[in-house]
This record gives sequence, C-alpha cells and structure tokens, in this order.
Amino acid sequence: MKIRHLLVSIMGACLLMSGCAQPPADQINAADQAVKDAQQSGAATYVPDDYAKLEGLLSAMKTEVAEQDGKFALLRDYGKAEQLAATTKAEAERLKTEAAQKLEEAKFGATQAHHAAQASVTSTLELVAKAPVGKDRAALQTIKTDAEALKASLNDVQMMIDKGQYLGAETKAKAIQEKADAVSHEIETALAKIGKGKAMARKK
Amino acid sequence: MIRGISYLTAALGYAGVLALGVSLAACVETAPPEMVEAIESLDRELLQLRAAEVAPDDYSAFARQWVTLRTRVAAEEDTIRWRWEPNELEQALRELQAEGAKTVARLSEQQETQRLAAARQIADVEARVHTIATQVSAINSRLILAEKPVETDLLLKQARAFYEQGRYDQSLQASDRASLHLAAESALLQRELGRYASPDRIAQWQRMVRETILWSKKHKASAIIVSKAERSLTLYRSGRKVLSYPVRLGFNGIKEKRYQGDGATPEGRYRVAGKRGRGQTQFYRALLLDYPNQEDRRRFLNERKKGRIPASRDIGGQIEIHGVDNELMAQTLGCVMLENPQMAVLFDRVDNGTPVTIVGALLEQNAVARALAHLSVHLDEI
Repeated sequence: MKIRHLLVSIMGACLLMSGCAQPPADQINAADQAVKDAQQSGAATYVPDDYAKLEGLLSAMKTEVAEQDGKFALLRDYGKAEQLAATTKAEAERLKTEAAQKLEEAKFGATQAHHAAQASVTSTLELVAKAPVGKDRAALQTIKTDAEALKASLNDVQMMIDKGQYLGAETKAKAIQEKADAVSHEIETALAKIGKGKAMARKK
Repeated sequence: MIRGISYLTAALGYAGVLALGVSLAACVETAPPEMVEAIESLDRELLQLRAAEVAPDDYSAFARQWVTLRTRVAAEEDTIRWRWEPNELEQALRELQAEGAKTVARLSEQQETQRLAAARQIADVEARVHTIATQVSAINSRLILAEKPVETDLLLKQARAFYEQGRYDQSLQASDRASLHLAAESALLQRELGRYASPDRIAQWQRMVRETILWSKKHKASAIIVSKAERSLTLYRSGRKVLSYPVRLGFNGIKEKRYQGDGATPEGRYRVAGKRGRGQTQFYRALLLDYPNQEDRRRFLNERKKGRIPASRDIGGQIEIHGVDNELMAQTLGCVMLENPQMAVLFDRVDNGTPVTIVGALLEQNAVARALAHLSVHLDEI
C-alpha cells in the first residue's frame, strides 16, 4: 500500500515538473518584437554588423527552443532559451537606440552640409549679379548658367534628405559647396582685376 | 619497517603527482582560446571590409554561426575534456574560422578590384571631361551644354569623395553616371553643331558666299561675308577681297539663332539697313542689319507652331555689326563685333543696302567640324 502511494506521489511530481517546462512564450515574443523594432529603426542600415549578430542571437534562441521542444517532456529545460531571449531583447533595444542615434547623426550631417551648400550658392549668386562683363560675355553667361545649375542641384539634395538618403545627400551637398566656392573665387578674382562692370540693357 | 613504510608513502606520492601531471596534460579546454581570438579577429576584419554592407548574406551567415558558437563557448567555459574525447564545438569553431578566413580573403580581393576599377573610372571620366572642355572652349560652345558640365562635375566630385571614404561601389556608380552625362554632352554637341560637319550644309553656305561675291562683282559694290566657324569678317569690293578681320559673336554665337535672347548670331542673307555713327550707338559705330528677314520669320513661326520655341518668345532684332563700347562692355548678345579701329575702316567702306551674308562655315575642315571629329574619336578611345 505504501509503495503504491510512493509511486503515485512520484508520478504526480513528474507531471508537475513536465507541466512547468513550457517554452517562455512571452519572452520569445518580446525578443522577436524587439528585433523587428530595431530593424524598423534602421539598425540594418546604420549598424549592419551588429544587426547581423542580433539576427544570429534570435536564430540561436529559436534553435534552442526547437531543441528543447524536441526533447521528452520530462527532460525539457528552457532556462537557456529564456536567457537567450533576454539577451536578444536587451541587444535589440541597444541597437534600436544606437541606430536611431546614428540616423540622427546622418540626418544632421546631411542637413548641415545642405545648409552650408545653400549659403555658398547664395553667395555665388550674389557675386554673379556683381560680376564684371569683361571681354567675354559668354564667360559671364557660363558662370550664370553654372550658378543656376548649382541652385537647382540643391533641390536634389533636399529630395535625397526627404527620402532618407543622408550619405548621398551629404556627399552631393559638399560637392555643390566646393563647386560654388570655386565659381565665387573665379568671380572674385575677376572683380579684383578689373572692378565692377555696368549692366547691359540691349536686347538681341 | 618504518623505513619501508616511508619509502612506500614517498612512492605513492610520486605516483600521485605523476598521475596528476599526466591527467592535466591529457585535459584540454572545450574551446581553445586562441581559436576564439582568431575568429574575433576575423570578425573585426570583416567589419573593416564593410562585409555586412557589401556581402550581407555572407556576413549574416558568419555572424549567426559565430553568435551561436559564442553562446556555446560561454556555456562550456569551465568544461575540461580529455584530449582524445570528440570535441564538436572545437570542430565547429575550426570550420567557422576557415570559412571566415575565406570570406575575408574573397572580400579583400573584391575590394581591391573595386578600388582599382573606381580609380580607373575616375581617371577615365576626368580625361573625357578635359577633352570635352578643351574642344568646347576652342569653339566657344560651352553655353550649348547649359547646366550639363556642372552636373557632370558634381558627379565626379561625389565619385572622388566616395572613393576617399573607401565606398568604391558608390564611387563607381557616381562615375558611371558622370560618364553617361558626358555621353549626353557629346550627343548634344553633335546635334546642335553637326551642321558644321555636314557636306550638304557647307555646300549651301559656300553657294551663298559665291553668289554674294558675284553680286559684288556684278554691281561693282561692297559685300560682307561673315563666317561663324572661322570667326572672320571679309569685305569684298567688285568681287575682290579687300580686307578680313577677326570677329566676336554673340555669347552663344555658334548656334543657329532661333529667338530673342538666345545669344546666337543669325545665319542668312542680310543687308545693311542703317548706319549708326558716333552718338547713335553705344558700340562706337554700328551697321544695323535687316534681321529678321522673310526666311527668318518663316522659320521662327514654323518652329513656334511646332512648339519648339515657347509662345512667350519673340524673334528678336537689332542685330548689328558693331565696335566695342569700352573694355568692360566689350560684349555682344547676338551681333558681330569688331575692334574699334577695324570697325572705323569698315564703317567708312559700306553703305546702306550693302549685302551681308553670314554663314556657319566656309570650309569643310572648319574649327567646329574638327572639334566634333576630335570628340567622336577621343571620347570613344578613352
């Protein structure tokens, strides 16, 4: 009789143990969601290497869960999976913050470069208005055309910023600034040599 | 007896130490630290090669495997195994190290290939930009290209910037686009100026010139020939060349005049419609031409009807052969301009009604045709 009671107790304990070894669904879902959030915040673009490792962590966690799921119920242990889920979630949150920070930095860099280019082009256009006609009207007209082309290119930079193409926008803005400064220098040199020209009023 | 016991104790002690030594020598760590360090080093190299951006699939596979193995390494950090025991973790690390090394080698080679290609492409585009700029400058046709040279220059600058940042793929993309812009510039020049290389068109211009000279001979009068490609003005009297001067044209003079303000100098048969002496012109002396003539009006209206000329544009007028106002105003918007002493001579030798024939070129081998030929040969070569 006593032996029967003992066996029933052991089986009850086993059933209780197997009932406790369930996959940590909430932690897994939270980790999964955190990775998606990190991806949406631009982690794959701004911290691509860390993001690849984060996907590795997520994959390791899922493998571990699948491994435990495949075991006999009494032998399942989701402790490691839980730990991996916690690490994945924490890492995803870190990357989300870092990606957002890098995105802001890139946006700031592109916007700053755009403003600097705008200032240079405005200065060039002001100089063009004062440019001496000199012997070669074609040269003046060329400078005017170049300055107008630079002004139009600034719109491309703004469009790139609007599309979130910050690196391309910054590089193009810097190119515009460099070119605008070169055109300004050309006009300043001409102004220094011969002074200001007077406006031409005839039509042809 | 006691001595025997102490010998036995010592022997047992030595045996124990020996056994411990043998055991320790036979034991190994599950994950050899030098292997872990080597993989970490490979990961850093892959980071420097921007593997996650340039070979995302390869890096993703490496990173996933590395993360998985690192988790196992951490879990088995305190585990010691017998040397002869099978070690799956070590084997997996070894395979990852070999795979990582292969990826590093492949990406390094790929990066170097791209670097060389990007450098070569930038040099090619720079050479082509120089060729176009030189030829365009030689025939004063920079304005035909409008904003295109600036756009090309900006792309070239971006290509250089990306190259310096080690972003060779983006550098190649930018210089590819610059190259396409250059091709468009060359096509535009051929389209706008191709008539200077057209034997039919040149034959037509030569015929116009012959007829003007014949008229001069027949009427024993003056006639003026202006060639835009040669930038020359020649005065004929009774069919004989009297003088020839270099001229400047409108700021876009090489083009065919289409409407007011385009800076082009018209081509056609005109006559002096008025002489403007001192005080009547700001340009020292001026010979007003009867532009637009009937043919100019017909062409203008036809083009505007077809929508090739905006409805807001006018045909223009006030085309003159004139002198220079002053050093700072030495300019023209579509006229033919001479230096003042030469203008003075010409002014005195022509009358109202004197024919003025303006043609694109007198010779098949003119400066514009040569420049176009040079461009088509050299842009293909580079």
